[in-house]
Amino acid sequence: MQHRQGTLAFDAAFQLTEPWTVLFGPSGSGKTTILRAIAGLMRPAEGRIVLGSAAALFDSAEGIDIPAYRRGVRLAAQVATLFPKMTVRANVAYGVPSGSEGIVDEALRRFRLEGLAEAVPWKLSGGERQRVAVVRAAASAATLAGGGLLLLDEPFAGLDLQLRDELLEELRSWLAAMKVPVLSVTHDVGEAFQLGAEVIRLSDGKILRQGPVGVVLVEERERLMEQLSRGVR
Amino acid sequence: MDFEALWLTLRLAASTTAILLVFALPLAWWIASGRGTGRAVVQALVALPLVLPPTVLGFYLLVMLGPLTAPGRVLTRIFGHSLAFSFSGLLVGSILYSLPFAVQPLVAGFGSVDRGYIEASAGLGASPWRTFWSVVMPLTRGSLLTSAVLAFTHTVGEFGVVLMIGGNIPGATQTLSISLYDQVQDFNYSAANRTALVLVVISLASLILIYSRRDSGIGRGEIV
Repeated sequence: MQHRQGTLAFDAAFQLTEPWTVLFGPSGSGKTTILRAIAGLMRPAEGRIVLGSAAALFDSAEGIDIPAYRRGVRLAAQVATLFPKMTVRANVAYGVPSGSEGIVDEALRRFRLEGLAEAVPWKLSGGERQRVAVVRAAASAATLAGGGLLLLDEPFAGLDLQLRDELLEELRSWLAAMKVPVLSVTHDVGEAFQLGAEVIRLSDGKILRQGPVGVVLVEERERLMEQLSRGVR
Repeated sequence: MDFEALWLTLRLAASTTAILLVFALPLAWWIASGRGTGRAVVQALVALPLVLPPTVLGFYLLVMLGPLTAPGRVLTRIFGHSLAFSFSGLLVGSILYSLPFAVQPLVAGFGSVDRGYIEASAGLGASPWRTFWSVVMPLTRGSLLTSAVLAFTHTVGEFGVVLMIGGNIPGATQTLSISLYDQVQDFNYSAANRTALVLVVISLASLILIYSRRDSGIGRGEIV
């Protein structure tokens, strides 16, 4: 998949082989752009995006570009954009088809949002808004027939570490139970270790390495240590 | 007080507003959701009645709707009578003349909706249709109200276009503003005073309705 937007150009070819895969890299490495391209919110210049065994979501050579709402992909963006005229419950229920409302109550309970269910977004703190946005996308993804894919851009990034770790663990176990595959983005090594069975390391729009978190990020740590020691010398 | 003219004026304004909103919503959404020469041309055409003398628009409509042109002959065949000097003709003229007052508040309202809401909705699997009605419209209710009230009020106050296209036929095409003109011509100032007062009350009440809503867009530079 190739994309040009100003000076940004990236070349990313990867396959998701684990239930939870983490895109890891520094700011500006193209992580968010990849998520947006998969979600159908931006059009790559060239490339092919295939989800599971289904037909391509995007194929520049074939002229295929399935609209975002028909891709079977759900996205929680880094900036939590809650619908301001809806309550927290209505926001979480937005992407849940009628007949599956039970999942809304379950999601609110699991992520400690029951007490805020009838609150309107402007009354929430930044961290609460972010939590609702992630839960909203997760609840919607959990109702997708045949798996689908959940894309999370720096989930819970604004929360304190302890709460973030607890919520990530809750999210990981819930989505695993619901069999929802996830591709998430982070530049936090701790978060990648906590979540990722598989890590894709990006830099300057290119994939440097893909593999188990223990291998890829240990290599990264060693590389950084070596750079540091060279700098000290 | 000419109640026949008042009833005709209110009927014309209500019909014009209802029809305009049906067309203005998709047109404004289309204008607000992109750029390009095509959109600029359409936007200019929509705004044209704001700067064009009403008599010019009325003249062209009179010619076009009359029996001497191809469109006029087609419309005459469809409606069974010429649209010139009829209520239907007034309706066509009012719709075109009030079009910018219906479209522009909506364009401003749609344009002010954060793109993040639309992307969030698409990222949750909602179709553009659902996004429009469930996310965009609740955020632009004030603009919709402004659009409806301005279209209604502007139609109530029309003079040049309705005079050109409808003539001045009592009970058929004579609106309140034309009735006022007739009353002044007849030096019937007491009747003219009452008619003028009704027009002032309708206009003022409409504006109070708009300004009393915090999210109407007026005062925030959303309206042209």
